[in-house]
Amino acid sequence: MSLYLRLAWRNIWRHSRRTLIIVLAMALGLALMMFYDGLVAGFNQAIYGNAIKVLGGNIQVHAVGYRSEASQTPLLPLNDDGAVVKAALAQPQVVAATRRITTGGLASSREGAFAVGITGIEPEKELEVNLAEQHVVAGRNLTADDGDMIFIGKGLADAMGVQVGDRITLTGRSKHEQMRRRTMTVVGIYDLGMADIEKRTIYVSLSEAQSLYDLTGQSTEVAIALKQLGQEAAVIAALRPGLPGYEIESFEANYPELQSALATKGGVMNIFSIVILMIAGIGILNLLLMAVYERTREIGVLGALGLKPRQISFLFILEGTMIGLVGVAVGIVLGLVINGILMQVGLDYSAFSGVTSYMALITGRVYPSWGVDKLLMRALTVAIISALAAVIPAREAAQREPAEALHYV
Amino acid sequence: MIQLFKMAFRDLGRNRRRSFFSALAVGMGLAMLLLLASFIKGEYGAAIESSIRLQSGHLQVRAKSYDESKTSLKWEDLIENPDQVAAQIASLNPVQVATPRLFASGFVSTGNESAGVRIFGIDPLSEANAPYREGLVSGDFLTPDDREGVLIGRRLADNLGLSVGDQINLSVNTSNGDVDEQPFTVRGIYSTQTGGFDGITVFLPLAKAQAITQAENRASTIFVLLKDSAQTDAVVSALQGPNYQVLTWAKMNELIVQTEDLASGYMSIFYLIVLGITATVIINTLIMSVFERTREIGVLSALGMKGRRIMAMFLAESSLLAVGGIILGLILGGLVVAYFTKYGFFIGNFGVTGILIGDTIYTRLTLKDTVTLTIMAFVVTLLAGLYPAMMASRMEPVEALRAEK
Repeated sequence: MSLYLRLAWRNIWRHSRRTLIIVLAMALGLALMMFYDGLVAGFNQAIYGNAIKVLGGNIQVHAVGYRSEASQTPLLPLNDDGAVVKAALAQPQVVAATRRITTGGLASSREGAFAVGITGIEPEKELEVNLAEQHVVAGRNLTADDGDMIFIGKGLADAMGVQVGDRITLTGRSKHEQMRRRTMTVVGIYDLGMADIEKRTIYVSLSEAQSLYDLTGQSTEVAIALKQLGQEAAVIAALRPGLPGYEIESFEANYPELQSALATKGGVMNIFSIVILMIAGIGILNLLLMAVYERTREIGVLGALGLKPRQISFLFILEGTMIGLVGVAVGIVLGLVINGILMQVGLDYSAFSGVTSYMALITGRVYPSWGVDKLLMRALTVAIISALAAVIPAREAAQREPAEALHYV
Repeated sequence: MIQLFKMAFRDLGRNRRRSFFSALAVGMGLAMLLLLASFIKGEYGAAIESSIRLQSGHLQVRAKSYDESKTSLKWEDLIENPDQVAAQIASLNPVQVATPRLFASGFVSTGNESAGVRIFGIDPLSEANAPYREGLVSGDFLTPDDREGVLIGRRLADNLGLSVGDQINLSVNTSNGDVDEQPFTVRGIYSTQTGGFDGITVFLPLAKAQAITQAENRASTIFVLLKDSAQTDAVVSALQGPNYQVLTWAKMNELIVQTEDLASGYMSIFYLIVLGITATVIINTLIMSVFERTREIGVLSALGMKGRRIMAMFLAESSLLAVGGIILGLILGGLVVAYFTKYGFFIGNFGVTGILIGDTIYTRLTLKDTVTLTIMAFVVTLLAGLYPAMMASRMEPVEALRAEK
């Protein structure tokens, strides 16, 4: 085997220029994929980092049946929210676990009306993990016993033309179908630099939400904040057995469209990258066809020395694969350079915050990552396509008759 | 010149398989570029068209102080006697239809579920509402004097589990800053194949919308469709007045244009890389054929062929490869694009609400894109031939003649 490897390695460098050109083609293909992967990862980070902070935690616990109706924020109280909080806090990775009530409503003033998400929170317990509470620009934070007080974002305050101390009307439904209307006083305004998010997220104290929605002593959600992004799966797995009858989900479940958008785009990108690599593969094919032709005599000698046709064709396939792998190595360097530069510069997406709910979570610029998470799969694709490109020349080489090939001048 | 191409053609024919594969590389590259370009055109072209049809129109005339982001219903932000104003606008020659609409924010609730919506008060008889009427999937369209019926989108109906005849509670903001709540019956369910629109838009007859919001005889906007969008500017200047602001479809759909520009920006990086890879394949093929023919080149130059002419011969080869590749690419790309133009590419729900993108994208290949990309492919292939051609032209005749076969 090591003999074949050595032979193939020497063979591909016999005409180093043409090999290098094809290596460049493969490298460009791989670098393009790394660029894409890095962009997607950077995009996810930009969105998810903020998503966790806006959602109040990496993990959300709801009553069974919540997710299927999540877009309507149903008022489904948890059976025993105290037990959920206790179980969550017992996990070492958990920073905070707080009870919430989430629902939708209409906030209106004389200036206009806005459909908003209303979140009842335990203000003191959430302070450490709630981004809004950490960015108060006017007035003060909520406290646990604030009634008729509302904490809104700057985006909404600007749009509605209200300031701290002004009153706005909040309309929502209670558990028993009838609408509840309440006039509330703005106690504080937060600023996250994400106007679209601020416009649809307002906070009240949990006790106020309980009385507003007939949920005395109850809550609809427990938000669990973790020390680090990426610990979700482990914590969820640890919590599930002890908490039957609850839907325990990572924050990603709140953005199903983001997942499906990324999955579709990733699929399209996979197909494109295969087509691109096939084009580069034609380069390998032509190169090896040429090599077979040039080395006719040599192949004859190998055959005369007793190398089986199968072994000769294996040698050529090895050469094709090797060119591909050198391409991978060069491509990795190229990809790292491109992504490294983009990590410094960043890409500006702020103009597109209005396009989707998840785009609104991007503050300022998006910084791509190194793009190496899928590298193994990408490199494998390159190797396989390179090997396949070598099949036709390899068959050609194997079909030569030693005696004839030797006579070839 | 003709002789040169004849020679080039024969030389390519000496190794047909290799020439075919090189042309195929160009063809595959071109086909891919055509598909990408037509996809972007299809996605955003359709987005602008749906937006014009469904929500922006070609023009909208609003009160000077109206602020779209607030959906204000204050009387001073609205247009008085909208029917009269609409009739006036409709009398202009390039205008196809002009109809008043009233916008409000609202909140639909049923049982334990609720959803924020926007309310369009429309004149059910106006032909501008044809897209909604034609999109009716069940029930009936609204009538002008319907006082209890609403028309809701299929996505909203699915989310809330509603069907025709069901009762809903609708809360709507009013002109005096209050919120009014009334029960309604789902009269019909429509679908525009655009989830971002269907999920949040609820229709009421204009008269009922005016009553519930206490806007009285006022509307938020006059929605105008033109016979030809090229006449937009002419109509805008005709409508200019002290009391109104006139918004054009281009202004209202700025976000789509920006998003398209961004997408095209990314695509041009993609184009360059694809063409770059194609170029390397061509360079390599030609370098190999230069080497193969070293002796021949020596003979040619010994016979008195000038270096320039040898170079021209190899450039002729690469341009023939380019033409062959382009033909292959146009056939291959044309077939793939034709398939996706007919059957579309299903993308499902991307959660896009800011711009109206349908759940299926139909590719659109414009002549301009085809010509630009074809020229790009040709130029890149020709440029790729430059280096091998120069190599061939610089060979010393004597040395080349001595070269081993």
